[in-house]
Amino acid sequence: MESLDEVIDAMIADRVIHRHRRIWLLVIALVVVAALIILATGGWKEKKGRTVPTLTAPTTVTAGRFEFSFTKAEIVRTPKTEYDEAESKVKIYFDAKNIDTEEHHSENPRNQLLVLVPGGGAETIESDGVSCRGEINWVLVYGLPPESCSTTFKVDPDFAAKTIEVGVLGETYEAVSGVFGASDNEFWQNEAPVAVVRLDPAVVTDNGGSK
Amino acid sequence: MKLYRPGTILVGVLFVLLGGVTRLAAPDQVYDEQNIKVVHGTIGQALDYTGSGSTMKVTRIKFARSVIDSTDSDKKPLETNGIYLAIEWDAVRGAKKPDNINATLLADGGSVYEPVEGLSNSGIDFPDAGFAKTGTVVFELNPADMTGLTLKLHPTMVFNYYNSDIEVDLGIPTDAIAQQMVDTAAPQYIVEKSVTRVAS
Repeated sequence: MESLDEVIDAMIADRVIHRHRRIWLLVIALVVVAALIILATGGWKEKKGRTVPTLTAPTTVTAGRFEFSFTKAEIVRTPKTEYDEAESKVKIYFDAKNIDTEEHHSENPRNQLLVLVPGGGAETIESDGVSCRGEINWVLVYGLPPESCSTTFKVDPDFAAKTIEVGVLGETYEAVSGVFGASDNEFWQNEAPVAVVRLDPAVVTDNGGSK
Repeated sequence: MKLYRPGTILVGVLFVLLGGVTRLAAPDQVYDEQNIKVVHGTIGQALDYTGSGSTMKVTRIKFARSVIDSTDSDKKPLETNGIYLAIEWDAVRGAKKPDNINATLLADGGSVYEPVEGLSNSGIDFPDAGFAKTGTVVFELNPADMTGLTLKLHPTMVFNYYNSDIEVDLGIPTDAIAQQMVDTAAPQYIVEKSVTRVAS
């Protein structure tokens, strides 16, 4: 059995809901119309172009805890043999220096810090690991002079380019946000693009044999 | 129904007080990691690793201007702009499996050195239970920061629990001794393959 209070409550609620119905409908209609107009006029332009500087080799880039001095690039072609398919790699040469003034920690630049930017909206290609003194993943010691290093990128066998672009990413020394209850210890993390370096690659053929 | 009965409020206050008490119980920032006990030692001392019955001993250290693997006959020795330090160790394994070792070298100047990559014989680990093992781990160092070199062996832990680090003082207390070590460094050090034997 409904009490009088409940009936009155229901009536009031009814009126409250309906009081501003016209305004609400108008607002929704306006939003829809605005969306249609924006759509019809071609929408917002997506932001194009890069926000980091584009440099031309030879150049030195300071990125996070490393300093790279890019020198030259090669497109290394390995011809098809009886056992292997033809393949190509882009190889870049640079001097790398550990400039980790925060931790003075010996470290190897991780693969994702150097990427090949193929352009034309294609995905970037991560490096295959930095080699120095002929050893892959060489550990760079803080305080020592720069080492001559190189890294390669896997590309299509018929890859050809007059100029290649290499993206350099740098980490920042910071703590994880305290909001998540994580510790406030700072460490190197969150790599972000620092620069793009243009190099003119020479084409070399690798016929195997001793390296 | 009454929401805030005196009992409810009392329990709430109790929880707040309890939180304060646990904060008082936590030690001040004395250690970097509160769950790690540090076992200090010097060269030649067998040091207990994480209470597992396994011990680690640094038997000898050797400075060199270049290093080469004894097993790679066709490879060129690795040169350096700094200096190499080979640390020869002797590990005796207890019954319980010890955690993997993360080895770093610490210097007074703040440098943290990691083992060199590219030497297949360089490394530090424990053998199977009942065995002992000798081997070498090689570091590349900055000659300007070698004073107070300490080998730190830290166990890799997925979860934090009470554990211990080993810190071995490598006996380079002053800059003069460090310089002497660099001056008298061997031209080349050959990294031998690690040898496992039955623990006696």
